[in-house]
Amino acid sequence: MDREKLFKDAQDIIIKCDNDRVEEVAKLALSEGIEPLEMINEGFRVGITKMGDLFERGEVFLPELIQSAEVMKKATDILMESLPKGIDTKRGTVVIGTVQGDIHDIGKILVVTMLQANSFEVFDLGHDVETEMFIEKAKETNADIIGTSSLLTTTMKYQKELEDELKKSGLKGKFKTIVGGAPVTQRWADRIGADAYAENASTAVREVQSLMGS
Amino acid sequence: MQKYATRMGDGFRVELTEDEIKQDIEEGTNDASEKGKIEPLSKDAQNRLLEIFKCPDKSVGVERGSEVILSYDSGTTKFKRANVSVSKIQSLQIYERLIGADTLELAHIDYSFKPVKPIVVFEQPILEQALLMTIPPLFYGAMPNLGLYSQPDGPCENPADLLPKGKISEARESYEKQIEYAVKDMVYVGGQMYEAGADGINFDTTGAAGDAEFLAALKAVEILREKYPAMCIQMGMAGEFVLGMHGELYYDDTRLAGLYTHGQLELAQKAGVTIFGPTVNIVTGKSLPWNITRAVTFTKACTDIATIPIHACMGMGVGGVPLTLSPPVDALTRASKAMVEITRLDGL
Repeated sequence: MDREKLFKDAQDIIIKCDNDRVEEVAKLALSEGIEPLEMINEGFRVGITKMGDLFERGEVFLPELIQSAEVMKKATDILMESLPKGIDTKRGTVVIGTVQGDIHDIGKILVVTMLQANSFEVFDLGHDVETEMFIEKAKETNADIIGTSSLLTTTMKYQKELEDELKKSGLKGKFKTIVGGAPVTQRWADRIGADAYAENASTAVREVQSLMGS
Repeated sequence: MQKYATRMGDGFRVELTEDEIKQDIEEGTNDASEKGKIEPLSKDAQNRLLEIFKCPDKSVGVERGSEVILSYDSGTTKFKRANVSVSKIQSLQIYERLIGADTLELAHIDYSFKPVKPIVVFEQPILEQALLMTIPPLFYGAMPNLGLYSQPDGPCENPADLLPKGKISEARESYEKQIEYAVKDMVYVGGQMYEAGADGINFDTTGAAGDAEFLAALKAVEILREKYPAMCIQMGMAGEFVLGMHGELYYDDTRLAGLYTHGQLELAQKAGVTIFGPTVNIVTGKSLPWNITRAVTFTKACTDIATIPIHACMGMGVGGVPLTLSPPVDALTRASKAMVEITRLDGL
């Protein structure tokens, strides 16, 4: 079967949240000799990126985005199973949460969904997370990146507190940081010394990839 | 090259050249046009906005005769937030006699329908007293606030817990149950306060929790309108776009998820709303010329088709006003002037 056709099918499966066809297409790709990672990158991941863009444009909504991410996970699991044991395909580890005093979760959940769909290992600490919990979890999981979300102008200060604590404990270079949330801007990120700022979930994936150098 | 003082959406002061302002105005209106599938502002309107942003005055205003009604939401909670120790009735008197408010609004400090339900009998006598001591129309206002109907604050499972686990149908069921509870509370509180003498009921920040909350408010309005045909019902929205948290909810065959201001207005009119407040949220990383123009474009799409009065929501982070704790006067007055002069709306 035509490789391009298989890649296109994979994209369509993600965009249509087609859980019924995902196994068939993933296995067909393997039987046609397509490398698992190539099938993910050229097919399924293109689909999930398009879904992210459609979500940002208000053309698809949260439940569809989450359903697509579930289909993406199933595809990734099937394709990864075919790789020899010991090959680590994860693109990085991210510890993420909404900062102390802030219970706004939805934007952060979207970022988690999109990062997971893009093969990042994500430890979601939820909301109202104290600064030291971010650091402890990052140490425990040997994370690459700590992501913080803040929707309130009154809780943004905890993003700065994280930067200050990382500097104080000599961990600033070890863990990269990314910040987001409605009142947060690139200027705020620069001011507090965060390594990256993301305006939305799609940008968050791009920024995290960039921080990982991939 | 001459530069003009303005701000970013987060209130940060910047200076832009005329060309930069022009470009931001054009991009702001095009952004609204593309997203809302509405007409961008005409070149004349864009030039008028340019003049407003180039004006060196710190605060600006409209010409005599072009003033619009100033209706204020949540009037009895705002002074308390600023740690000013005044009673509810004193707050309303300050709005009436010192601030120049054309309508007043009594509200409970929680500003949500659900917590008012058990204390409605305490709110009614305050309303009765306030009616005797003030002249402008007096609303009772609260937010639908669907978040209070899911755990840990309410009986339903929290969709924000269910969705990340992929439990889409369970999350949707929870939203549908929450709608039932919220409609009951809004109808009860709205009816009780109207019968106590309120001139109108304000559904504020509608749709903040997404499409399910918007549907709950529309249903409540429908019931109240049928029961009280003369009731004034004001609906202020939470944003220019209805979030699709459920995604499959419809009102009168119209999918609620993804509706922009003019689509929201059409359904609100149909349900029985008598004053509509379109809300356009600020984008903190963009300039005020971009944000105000975008907000004006979305609002004009409402005033062009409205059969009811339009009172645009203006304030911290909405209507082109920066997201700062105290809105800067230069930004607030420019956003207000732009709204009034370009959209020809009925009130702010």
